[in-house]
Amino acid sequence: MVSFSATDAVDSATDTLSDHELMLAVRDGELDALGELFERHHGPLFGFLVKFTGHRNAAEDIAQTVFQRMLKYRHTYRDDGSFTAWMYHLARRCAADHFRKSNAAPTATDPADFRQVADDSPNAGDRAATRDDHALLHSALGCLDRDDREVLLLSRFQELSFNEIAAVLECSVGAAKVRAHRALRALRDIYLQLQKENLS
Amino acid sequence: MNCSSAQERFADLLDARASDAASTADVRAHLASCPDCQREYAALAQTLAALDSLPVAKPGPALRKNFYAMLEEEKNSAASIAASVVRRRHAARVSLWRWILIPVASGALAVAAFLAGTRYAPPAATPAVDVATKQELADLRKQVAQLANDTLNYQRSTTDRLQGVLATVDQKNPNQKVIADLIAALALDPSATVRLSAIDALYPHANQPAVRSGVLASLPREQNALVQVEMINFLVAAREHEAVPELERMTRNPALDAQVRDAAKRGLAQL
Repeated sequence: MVSFSATDAVDSATDTLSDHELMLAVRDGELDALGELFERHHGPLFGFLVKFTGHRNAAEDIAQTVFQRMLKYRHTYRDDGSFTAWMYHLARRCAADHFRKSNAAPTATDPADFRQVADDSPNAGDRAATRDDHALLHSALGCLDRDDREVLLLSRFQELSFNEIAAVLECSVGAAKVRAHRALRALRDIYLQLQKENLS
Repeated sequence: MNCSSAQERFADLLDARASDAASTADVRAHLASCPDCQREYAALAQTLAALDSLPVAKPGPALRKNFYAMLEEEKNSAASIAASVVRRRHAARVSLWRWILIPVASGALAVAAFLAGTRYAPPAATPAVDVATKQELADLRKQVAQLANDTLNYQRSTTDRLQGVLATVDQKNPNQKVIADLIAALALDPSATVRLSAIDALYPHANQPAVRSGVLASLPREQNALVQVEMINFLVAAREHEAVPELERMTRNPALDAQVRDAAKRGLAQL
Protein backbone atom coordinates (compact mmCIF):
# COMPACT_ATOMS: atom_id res chain seq x y z
CA MET A 1 0.00 0.00 0.00
CA VAL A 2 1.31 3.42 -0.90
CA SER A 3 1.30 5.89 1.94
CA PHE A 4 0.42 9.47 0.99
CA SER A 5 1.41 12.05 3.54
CA ALA A 6 0.31 15.66 3.86
CA THR A 7 3.81 16.72 2.79
CA ASP A 8 3.44 14.68 -0.42
CA ALA A 9 0.11 16.38 -1.06
CA VAL A 10 1.69 19.83 -0.59
CA ASP A 11 4.66 18.83 -2.77
CA SER A 12 2.47 17.63 -5.60
CA ALA A 13 0.36 20.78 -5.33
CA THR A 14 3.41 23.08 -5.56
CA ASP A 15 4.82 20.97 -8.42
CA THR A 16 1.93 22.02 -10.62
CA LEU A 17 2.20 25.75 -9.85
CA SER A 18 4.10 28.08 -12.15
CA ASP A 19 7.08 30.06 -10.89
CA HIS A 20 4.95 33.18 -10.98
CA GLU A 21 2.17 31.60 -8.90
CA LEU A 22 4.69 30.34 -6.36
CA MET A 23 6.28 33.78 -6.01
CA LEU A 24 2.87 35.38 -5.55
CA ALA A 25 2.25 32.87 -2.77
CA VAL A 26 5.59 33.83 -1.17
CA ARG A 27 4.60 37.47 -1.43
CA ASP A 28 1.35 36.68 0.38
CA GLY A 29 3.19 35.08 3.27
CA GLU A 30 3.50 31.40 2.26
CA LEU A 31 7.25 31.39 2.67
CA ASP A 32 7.58 27.62 2.12
CA ALA A 33 6.78 28.18 -1.55
CA LEU A 34 10.24 29.74 -1.89
CA GLY A 35 11.70 26.27 -1.22
CA GLU A 36 10.20 24.97 -4.47
CA LEU A 37 11.49 28.02 -6.36
CA PHE A 38 14.95 27.43 -4.87
CA GLU A 39 14.90 23.78 -6.00
CA ARG A 40 13.87 24.78 -9.52
CA HIS A 41 16.29 27.64 -10.03
CA HIS A 42 19.35 27.55 -7.80
CA GLY A 43 21.27 25.24 -10.17
CA PRO A 44 20.95 27.39 -13.31
CA LEU A 45 21.43 30.56 -11.25
CA PHE A 46 24.61 29.18 -9.72
CA GLY A 47 25.85 28.07 -13.16
CA PHE A 48 25.29 31.57 -14.49
CA LEU A 49 27.07 33.17 -11.53
CA VAL A 50 30.09 30.85 -11.76
CA LYS A 51 30.59 31.79 -15.39
CA PHE A 52 29.86 35.44 -14.67
CA THR A 53 32.21 35.85 -11.71
CA GLY A 54 34.72 33.11 -12.50
CA HIS A 55 34.67 32.00 -8.85
CA ARG A 56 32.66 29.20 -7.24
CA ASN A 57 32.75 30.71 -3.75
CA ALA A 58 31.61 34.11 -4.97
CA ALA A 59 28.86 32.45 -7.00
CA GLU A 60 27.59 30.57 -3.94
CA ASP A 61 27.63 33.75 -1.84
CA ILE A 62 25.79 35.74 -4.49
CA ALA A 63 23.20 32.99 -5.08
CA GLN A 64 22.55 32.91 -1.34
CA THR A 65 22.13 36.69 -1.29
CA VAL A 66 19.74 36.56 -4.25
CA PHE A 67 17.38 34.24 -2.34
CA GLN A 68 17.74 36.39 0.79
CA ARG A 69 16.69 39.44 -1.21
CA MET A 70 13.76 37.54 -2.70
CA LEU A 71 12.51 37.13 0.85
CA LYS A 72 13.31 40.67 1.89
CA TYR A 73 11.80 42.31 -1.18
CA ARG A 74 9.01 39.78 -1.78
CA HIS A 75 6.43 42.54 -1.38
CA THR A 76 7.84 44.35 -4.39
CA TYR A 77 7.15 41.38 -6.72
CA ARG A 78 4.49 42.55 -9.13
CA ASP A 79 1.34 40.83 -10.33
CA ASP A 80 2.48 41.12 -13.92
CA GLY A 81 6.06 40.06 -13.19
CA SER A 82 8.18 37.30 -14.69
CA PHE A 83 9.86 35.39 -11.88
CA THR A 84 12.95 34.43 -13.88
CA ALA A 85 13.49 37.96 -15.12
CA TRP A 86 13.07 39.27 -11.56
CA MET A 87 15.51 36.67 -10.19
CA TYR A 88 18.20 37.59 -12.73
CA HIS A 89 17.51 41.26 -12.12
CA LEU A 90 18.27 40.67 -8.42
CA ALA A 91 21.26 38.49 -9.33
CA ARG A 92 22.63 41.27 -11.47
CA ARG A 93 22.40 43.76 -8.60
CA CYS A 94 23.93 41.32 -6.11
CA ALA A 95 26.78 40.61 -8.54
CA ALA A 96 27.31 44.37 -9.00
CA ASP A 97 27.55 44.72 -5.20
CA HIS A 98 30.03 41.85 -5.14
CA PHE A 99 32.23 43.42 -7.81
CA ARG A 100 32.07 46.78 -6.06
CA LYS A 101 33.14 45.21 -2.77
CA SER A 102 35.88 43.04 -4.22
CA ASN A 103 36.87 45.84 -6.59
CA ALA A 104 38.54 43.30 -8.80
CA ALA A 105 37.84 42.19 -12.32
CA PRO A 106 36.64 38.58 -12.38
CA THR A 107 39.07 36.02 -13.69
CA ALA A 108 38.52 32.44 -14.69
CA THR A 109 41.31 31.06 -12.60
CA ASP A 110 39.47 29.29 -9.80
CA PRO A 111 41.34 25.98 -9.49
CA ALA A 112 38.14 24.21 -8.47
CA ASP A 113 36.74 24.84 -11.95
CA PHE A 114 39.62 23.24 -13.79
CA ARG A 115 40.76 20.15 -11.93
CA GLN A 116 44.11 19.07 -13.34
CA VAL A 117 44.07 15.37 -12.61
CA ALA A 118 46.29 12.84 -14.43
CA ASP A 119 44.10 10.85 -16.81
CA ASP A 120 45.46 7.47 -18.07
CA SER A 121 42.22 6.11 -19.50
CA PRO A 122 41.50 5.58 -23.24
CA ASN A 123 40.73 8.82 -25.16
CA ALA A 124 42.55 10.72 -22.45
CA GLY A 125 44.19 12.87 -25.16
CA ASP A 126 40.82 13.97 -26.55
CA ARG A 127 39.53 14.76 -23.13
CA ALA A 128 42.63 16.75 -22.29
CA ALA A 129 42.16 18.73 -25.50
CA THR A 130 38.54 19.38 -24.52
CA ARG A 131 39.63 20.48 -21.06
CA ASP A 132 42.16 22.84 -22.64
CA ASP A 133 39.43 24.20 -24.89
CA HIS A 134 37.16 24.77 -21.92
CA ALA A 135 39.94 26.48 -20.01
CA LEU A 136 40.61 28.72 -23.02
CA LEU A 137 36.95 29.60 -23.30
CA HIS A 138 36.74 30.35 -19.59
CA SER A 139 39.74 32.64 -19.97
CA ALA A 140 38.13 34.28 -22.99
CA LEU A 141 34.92 34.83 -21.00
CA GLY A 142 37.01 36.31 -18.18
CA CYS A 143 38.63 38.76 -20.61
CA LEU A 144 35.28 39.86 -21.97
CA ASP A 145 33.77 43.15 -20.85
CA ARG A 146 31.44 42.48 -17.89
CA ASP A 147 28.31 43.74 -19.66
CA ASP A 148 29.10 41.63 -22.71
CA ARG A 149 29.68 38.55 -20.58
CA GLU A 150 26.41 39.11 -18.76
CA VAL A 151 24.22 39.42 -21.86
CA LEU A 152 25.95 36.48 -23.53
CA LEU A 153 25.43 34.18 -20.56
CA LEU A 154 21.81 35.26 -20.13
CA SER A 155 21.07 34.63 -23.80
CA ARG A 156 22.81 31.26 -24.07
CA PHE A 157 22.33 29.46 -20.79
CA GLN A 158 19.34 30.68 -18.87
CA GLU A 159 16.53 29.80 -21.27
CA LEU A 160 15.33 33.38 -21.17
CA SER A 161 13.48 34.96 -24.06
CA PHE A 162 14.87 38.22 -25.41
CA ASN A 163 11.81 39.92 -23.94
CA GLU A 164 12.89 38.70 -20.49
CA ILE A 165 16.56 39.53 -21.13
CA ALA A 166 15.49 43.04 -22.11
CA ALA A 167 13.53 43.28 -18.82
CA VAL A 168 16.57 42.09 -16.82
CA LEU A 169 18.90 44.55 -18.56
CA GLU A 170 16.27 47.29 -18.64
CA CYS A 171 16.67 47.97 -22.34
CA SER A 172 14.66 47.34 -25.49
CA VAL A 173 14.42 43.87 -27.06
CA GLY A 174 16.28 45.11 -30.13
CA ALA A 175 19.08 46.55 -27.99
CA ALA A 176 19.38 43.27 -26.06
CA LYS A 177 19.73 41.32 -29.31
CA VAL A 178 22.35 43.70 -30.68
CA ARG A 179 24.30 43.56 -27.41
CA ALA A 180 24.19 39.75 -27.36
CA HIS A 181 25.47 39.51 -30.91
CA ARG A 182 28.19 42.09 -30.33
CA ALA A 183 29.26 40.17 -27.23
CA LEU A 184 29.46 36.92 -29.20
CA ARG A 185 31.69 38.54 -31.78
CA ALA A 186 33.94 39.95 -29.06
CA LEU A 187 34.19 36.51 -27.46
CA ARG A 188 34.98 34.94 -30.80
CA ASP A 189 37.85 37.40 -31.36
CA ILE A 190 39.35 36.79 -27.92
CA TYR A 191 38.85 33.02 -28.12
CA LEU A 192 40.56 32.77 -31.54
CA GLN A 193 43.39 34.96 -30.30
CA LEU A 194 43.92 32.73 -27.26
CA GLN A 195 43.83 29.61 -29.46
CA LYS A 196 46.53 31.10 -31.67
CA GLU A 197 48.69 32.00 -28.67
CA ASN A 198 48.19 28.50 -27.30
CA LEU A 199 49.37 26.88 -30.56
CA SER A 200 52.44 29.09 -30.97
CA MET B 1 21.74 41.90 -49.61
CA ASN B 2 25.35 42.95 -48.91
CA CYS B 3 27.79 41.39 -46.40
CA SER B 4 27.24 44.01 -43.73
CA SER B 5 23.47 43.66 -43.57
CA ALA B 6 23.74 39.86 -43.77
CA GLN B 7 26.17 39.77 -40.83
CA GLU B 8 23.90 42.00 -38.78
CA ARG B 9 21.28 39.27 -39.05
CA PHE B 10 23.54 36.34 -38.18
CA ALA B 11 22.14 36.61 -34.65
CA ASP B 12 18.74 35.50 -35.96
CA LEU B 13 20.29 32.53 -37.75
CA LEU B 14 22.32 31.51 -34.70
CA ASP B 15 19.43 31.91 -32.27
CA ALA B 16 17.50 28.67 -32.53
CA ARG B 17 14.61 30.15 -30.52
CA ALA B 18 13.81 33.04 -32.79
CA SER B 19 14.63 32.08 -36.34
CA ASP B 20 12.22 30.57 -38.77
CA ALA B 21 13.30 29.58 -42.26
CA ALA B 22 11.12 32.16 -44.04
CA SER B 23 12.39 35.21 -42.15
CA THR B 24 16.04 34.28 -42.68
CA ALA B 25 15.78 33.02 -46.27
CA ASP B 26 17.53 36.10 -47.70
CA VAL B 27 20.42 35.79 -45.21
CA ARG B 28 20.81 32.11 -46.08
CA ALA B 29 20.80 32.91 -49.79
CA HIS B 30 23.57 35.49 -49.31
CA LEU B 31 25.53 33.09 -47.13
CA ALA B 32 25.40 30.36 -49.79
CA SER B 33 27.16 32.59 -52.27
CA CYS B 34 29.63 34.56 -50.10
CA PRO B 35 32.82 32.83 -48.85
CA ASP B 36 33.74 35.76 -46.51
CA CYS B 37 30.39 35.59 -44.73
CA GLN B 38 30.63 31.80 -44.61
CA ARG B 39 33.94 32.12 -42.73
CA GLU B 40 32.50 34.74 -40.38
CA TYR B 41 29.40 32.65 -39.73
CA ALA B 42 31.41 29.46 -39.17
CA ALA B 43 33.66 31.20 -36.61
CA LEU B 44 30.65 32.52 -34.68
CA ALA B 45 28.89 29.15 -34.81
CA GLN B 46 32.07 27.42 -33.61
CA THR B 47 32.37 29.85 -30.68
CA LEU B 48 28.75 29.29 -29.75
CA ALA B 49 29.14 25.51 -29.95
CA ALA B 50 32.19 25.72 -27.68
CA LEU B 51 30.27 27.94 -25.28
CA ASP B 52 27.32 25.54 -25.21
CA SER B 53 29.64 22.61 -24.50
CA LEU B 54 31.07 24.17 -21.34
CA PRO B 55 30.35 21.91 -18.36
CA VAL B 56 27.64 23.12 -16.02
CA ALA B 57 29.00 23.87 -12.55
CA LYS B 58 27.03 22.34 -9.71
CA PRO B 59 26.74 24.09 -6.33
CA GLY B 60 28.01 22.45 -3.18
CA PRO B 61 25.65 21.21 -0.44
CA ALA B 62 26.29 24.34 1.65
CA LEU B 63 24.12 26.49 -0.63
CA ARG B 64 21.02 24.36 -0.02
CA LYS B 65 21.77 24.02 3.70
CA ASN B 66 22.26 27.76 4.13
CA PHE B 67 19.15 28.56 2.12
CA TYR B 68 16.86 26.39 4.24
CA ALA B 69 18.44 27.73 7.45
CA MET B 70 17.77 31.26 6.23
CA LEU B 71 14.19 30.37 5.24
CA GLU B 72 13.53 28.81 8.64
CA GLU B 73 14.94 31.88 10.37
CA GLU B 74 12.71 34.15 8.30
CA LYS B 75 9.66 32.03 9.08
CA ASN B 76 10.46 32.16 12.78
CA SER B 77 11.04 35.84 12.58
CA ALA B 78 7.73 36.36 10.74
CA ALA B 79 5.98 34.24 13.39
CA SER B 80 7.54 36.24 16.19
CA ILE B 81 6.52 39.48 14.52
CA ALA B 82 2.94 38.21 14.22
CA ALA B 83 2.96 37.14 17.87
CA SER B 84 4.31 40.49 19.01
CA VAL B 85 1.66 42.28 16.95
CA VAL B 86 -1.03 40.17 18.68
CA ARG B 87 0.47 41.18 22.04
CA ARG B 88 0.55 44.83 21.01
CA ARG B 89 -3.07 44.65 19.88
CA HIS B 90 -4.04 43.22 23.23
CA ALA B 91 -2.18 46.06 24.97
CA ALA B 92 -3.83 48.53 22.60
CA ARG B 93 -7.29 47.12 23.47
CA VAL B 94 -6.53 47.53 27.20
CA SER B 95 -5.31 51.04 26.54
CA LEU B 96 -8.42 51.74 24.42
CA TRP B 97 -10.70 50.67 27.30
CA ARG B 98 -8.80 53.04 29.53
CA TRP B 99 -9.44 55.86 27.05
CA ILE B 100 -13.13 54.97 26.88
CA LEU B 101 -13.69 54.40 30.60
CA ILE B 102 -12.03 57.62 31.79
CA PRO B 103 -14.26 59.98 29.78
CA VAL B 104 -17.37 57.87 30.59
CA ALA B 105 -16.57 57.98 34.30
CA SER B 106 -15.87 61.73 34.07
CA GLY B 107 -19.19 62.28 32.29
CA ALA B 108 -21.07 60.26 34.90
CA LEU B 109 -19.50 62.36 37.65
CA ALA B 110 -20.44 65.57 35.84
CA VAL B 111 -24.08 64.41 35.44
CA ALA B 112 -24.24 63.43 39.13
CA ALA B 113 -22.86 66.85 40.11
CA PHE B 114 -25.40 68.59 37.85
CA LEU B 115 -28.32 66.63 39.31
CA ALA B 116 -27.12 67.35 42.85
CA GLY B 117 -26.80 71.06 41.98
CA THR B 118 -30.33 71.29 40.54
CA ARG B 119 -31.77 69.51 43.60
CA TYR B 120 -29.99 71.48 46.32
CA ALA B 121 -29.34 74.94 44.75
CA PRO B 122 -31.84 77.46 43.34
CA PRO B 123 -31.72 77.82 39.51
CA ALA B 124 -29.84 80.89 38.30
CA ALA B 125 -31.53 83.32 36.02
CA THR B 126 -30.67 82.33 32.40
CA PRO B 127 -30.06 85.21 30.01
CA ALA B 128 -31.87 85.00 26.65
CA VAL B 129 -29.59 83.68 23.85
CA ASP B 130 -30.32 84.42 20.23
CA VAL B 131 -29.98 81.84 17.36
CA ALA B 132 -26.77 83.31 15.95
CA THR B 133 -25.03 83.11 19.31
CA LYS B 134 -26.18 79.50 19.73
CA GLN B 135 -24.71 78.61 16.32
CA GLU B 136 -21.47 80.39 17.19
CA LEU B 137 -21.25 78.49 20.46
CA ALA B 138 -21.88 75.17 18.67
CA ASP B 139 -19.06 75.93 16.17
CA LEU B 140 -16.74 76.85 18.98
CA ARG B 141 -17.52 73.57 20.78
CA LYS B 142 -16.72 71.64 17.61
CA GLN B 143 -13.40 73.46 17.17
CA VAL B 144 -12.42 72.84 20.78
CA ALA B 145 -13.28 69.13 20.45
CA GLN B 146 -11.17 68.84 17.26
CA LEU B 147 -8.30 70.71 18.93
CA ALA B 148 -8.46 68.40 21.94
CA ASN B 149 -8.44 65.36 19.65
CA ASP B 150 -5.41 66.60 17.67
CA THR B 151 -3.60 67.49 20.87
CA LEU B 152 -4.22 64.00 22.21
CA ASN B 153 -2.76 62.54 19.01
CA TYR B 154 0.35 64.69 19.12
CA GLN B 155 0.84 63.97 22.79
CA ARG B 156 0.74 60.19 22.37
CA SER B 157 4.09 58.79 23.42
CA THR B 158 6.64 57.62 20.85
CA THR B 159 6.01 54.05 22.01
CA ASP B 160 2.28 54.39 21.35
CA ARG B 161 2.87 55.84 17.90
CA LEU B 162 5.41 53.08 17.19
CA GLN B 163 2.89 50.47 18.27
CA GLY B 164 0.34 52.03 15.97
CA VAL B 165 2.72 51.66 13.04
CA LEU B 166 3.82 48.12 13.96
CA ALA B 167 0.23 46.94 14.34
CA THR B 168 -0.22 47.45 10.57
CA VAL B 169 2.66 45.10 9.68
CA ASP B 170 0.63 41.88 9.40
CA GLN B 171 -2.42 43.41 7.77
CA LYS B 172 -2.64 41.84 4.35
CA ASN B 173 -5.22 44.26 2.97
CA PRO B 174 -5.24 47.36 5.13
CA ASN B 175 -7.60 50.10 4.06
CA GLN B 176 -6.43 53.32 2.49
CA LYS B 177 -6.78 55.17 5.80
CA VAL B 178 -4.13 52.91 7.38
CA ILE B 179 -1.78 53.43 4.44
CA ALA B 180 -2.41 57.19 4.52
CA ASP B 181 -1.58 57.17 8.24
CA LEU B 182 1.67 55.32 7.54
CA ILE B 183 2.65 57.84 4.88
CA ALA B 184 1.74 60.68 7.26
CA ALA B 185 3.87 59.06 9.98
CA LEU B 186 6.77 58.81 7.54
CA ALA B 187 6.41 62.44 6.51
CA LEU B 188 5.56 64.12 9.81
CA ASP B 189 6.39 62.00 12.85
CA PRO B 190 9.11 63.66 14.96
CA SER B 191 10.69 60.31 15.92
CA ALA B 192 13.16 58.75 13.45
CA THR B 193 12.36 55.31 14.90
CA VAL B 194 8.69 55.73 14.06
CA ARG B 195 9.57 56.95 10.57
CA LEU B 196 11.88 53.95 10.02
CA SER B 197 9.12 51.60 11.18
CA ALA B 198 6.67 53.34 8.88
CA ILE B 199 8.89 52.77 5.86
CA ASP B 200 9.25 49.10 6.82
CA ALA B 201 5.50 48.80 7.17
CA LEU B 202 5.02 50.37 3.74
CA TYR B 203 7.09 47.68 1.91
CA PRO B 204 4.09 45.35 1.46
CA HIS B 205 2.28 48.16 -0.33
CA ALA B 206 5.16 49.26 -2.56
CA ASN B 207 3.19 48.18 -5.61
CA GLN B 208 0.71 51.04 -5.03
CA PRO B 209 1.67 54.19 -6.95
CA ALA B 210 0.28 56.39 -4.14
CA VAL B 211 2.65 54.78 -1.64
CA ARG B 212 5.66 55.25 -3.89
CA SER B 213 4.66 58.87 -4.52
CA GLY B 214 4.20 59.43 -0.78
CA VAL B 215 7.68 58.13 0.01
CA LEU B 216 9.17 60.14 -2.82
CA ALA B 217 7.42 63.32 -1.64
CA SER B 218 8.70 62.79 1.92
CA LEU B 219 12.31 62.24 0.85
CA PRO B 220 13.33 65.92 0.31
CA ARG B 221 11.93 66.85 3.77
CA GLU B 222 13.74 64.06 5.59
CA GLN B 223 16.75 65.17 7.67
CA ASN B 224 17.85 61.90 9.27
CA ALA B 225 20.52 60.06 7.22
CA LEU B 226 19.33 56.58 8.26
CA VAL B 227 15.77 57.29 7.21
CA GLN B 228 16.96 58.91 3.99
CA VAL B 229 18.95 55.77 3.08
CA GLU B 230 15.96 53.53 3.87
CA MET B 231 13.68 55.72 1.74
CA ILE B 232 16.14 55.49 -1.16
CA ASN B 233 16.34 51.69 -0.75
CA PHE B 234 12.55 51.54 -0.76
CA LEU B 235 12.21 53.57 -3.94
CA VAL B 236 14.90 51.52 -5.67
CA ALA B 237 13.38 48.20 -4.56
CA ALA B 238 10.01 49.42 -5.81
CA ARG B 239 11.70 50.43 -9.09
CA GLU B 240 10.25 53.91 -8.86
CA HIS B 241 11.78 55.63 -11.87
CA GLU B 242 10.16 58.93 -10.88
CA ALA B 243 12.77 59.08 -8.11
CA VAL B 244 15.65 59.58 -10.55
CA PRO B 245 15.65 63.44 -10.58
CA GLU B 246 15.51 63.60 -6.77
CA LEU B 247 18.31 61.02 -6.42
CA GLU B 248 20.39 63.00 -8.90
CA ARG B 249 19.87 66.14 -6.80
CA MET B 250 20.94 64.22 -3.71
CA THR B 251 24.16 62.97 -5.30
CA ARG B 252 25.08 66.61 -5.99
CA ASN B 253 24.18 67.93 -2.54
CA PRO B 254 27.39 68.31 -0.46
CA ALA B 255 25.35 69.03 2.70
CA LEU B 256 24.06 65.45 2.76
CA ASP B 257 25.74 62.63 4.64
CA ALA B 258 28.27 60.72 2.47
CA GLN B 259 26.36 57.47 3.03
CA VAL B 260 23.17 59.08 1.76
CA ARG B 261 24.94 60.33 -1.36
CA ASP B 262 26.41 56.84 -1.92
CA ALA B 263 22.98 55.27 -1.50
CA ALA B 264 21.58 57.74 -4.03
CA LYS B 265 24.37 56.92 -6.48
CA ARG B 266 23.78 53.18 -6.07
CA GLY B 267 20.06 53.73 -6.48
CA LEU B 268 20.59 55.68 -9.68
CA ALA B 269 22.77 52.90 -11.08
CA GLN B 270 20.08 50.35 -10.28
CA LEU B 271 17.21 52.42 -11.63
